[in-house]
Amino acid sequence: MMEQPTNNQQISSYIIHSQEEEIKRISQELHEGVGQNLYSILTGLQFVQSSTKQQHLKNYLHEMTELLEKNIQEIRLLSVELHPPTLTTLGLLPAIKSYIKLYTSTFGILVDLNSTGEERQLPERHRIAVFRVCQEALTNIAKYADTSEVKIDFYWGEYELNMCICDFGQGFKAEETDNTLGISAMKERMHLTGGTCDISSTIGEGTTIEISLPY
Amino acid sequence: MSEIKELQAVSNVCNQLKKAAGCEFVALALQNEAGPDVRWHFAAGNLNDKYKRITVRFGKGIAGKIISSGSPMEMVDFPNDIIGKITDHPIMLAEKLVSTYAVPLFFNAVPKGVLLIGNREKHIFSERSHELVKESAHLLEQILKSHILRL
Repeated sequence: MMEQPTNNQQISSYIIHSQEEEIKRISQELHEGVGQNLYSILTGLQFVQSSTKQQHLKNYLHEMTELLEKNIQEIRLLSVELHPPTLTTLGLLPAIKSYIKLYTSTFGILVDLNSTGEERQLPERHRIAVFRVCQEALTNIAKYADTSEVKIDFYWGEYELNMCICDFGQGFKAEETDNTLGISAMKERMHLTGGTCDISSTIGEGTTIEISLPY
Repeated sequence: MSEIKELQAVSNVCNQLKKAAGCEFVALALQNEAGPDVRWHFAAGNLNDKYKRITVRFGKGIAGKIISSGSPMEMVDFPNDIIGKITDHPIMLAEKLVSTYAVPLFFNAVPKGVLLIGNREKHIFSERSHELVKESAHLLEQILKSHILRL
């Protein structure tokens, strides 16, 4: 018989779900609202710039269009960071590949991603949970692990997805981080999707995060 | 354009600055030829080669903030004295830096580069260190002028 979720679990699930919905809304608003409006202003300014014959005005407009382009790029990256659109359209692996690219260019840490088996189309809630666990794990690695290389393996089995993140970093004492919010949130996210998240670490050898998610 | 890290004069200035300022790390960042992003081109006293892969977005991190504002910046006790997230400062995390002082490099009166010194412990950089960094930044502006303005 399937275990009924407790009241606390239902509340956690509701909070996480509402937060994700809000993040997605802000991300879309930034990309499709603010971003698009700025783009319209940019094309308008470029038109004025090409029409004017006054050199000092041309130079001034050029500086303004450059600044606008920087802002448009910033809005686009912020929107993708909040909620990658690929997570909804293309699926989990393309979204993680795209995040890894940004991660390596931000922190200089190389990530070797492998996937075995055929990727399944998970429900969006589950895709978000796995993506956020990867994001949290990689951020922790950048902050604490002191490593240059990370390995992420996906195994798409018949009945469940298994994922393993190994950082080969300096590791930590598990008892000292048992109650940290980041780790608890990762475990809770997987628990609420019916999966598990196990974290093990050895000083000098690194940290391993293993998740399993039944289909 | 030849790689900046291959320029002996750049490496001489950075190594001499490291010695004169008595710091553990010196690095030089420049804005990319195309687009607003900033990349670290040279480092002395580095622990690993992460800096080579780090691209800082315009306005983000120490290098991005200095280029967007055109002003020097100092951190004494990272991550305890920062505004924003720890992850907004990738070079500090990559090189385990705790204190830094960094100044902009100007080309045609526009900030397009950053020279940074850092230590892996809490440290307040002296006025003399500030002067040394500024002098080295001027030297690098002269050395790199032909490279940057040719782009």
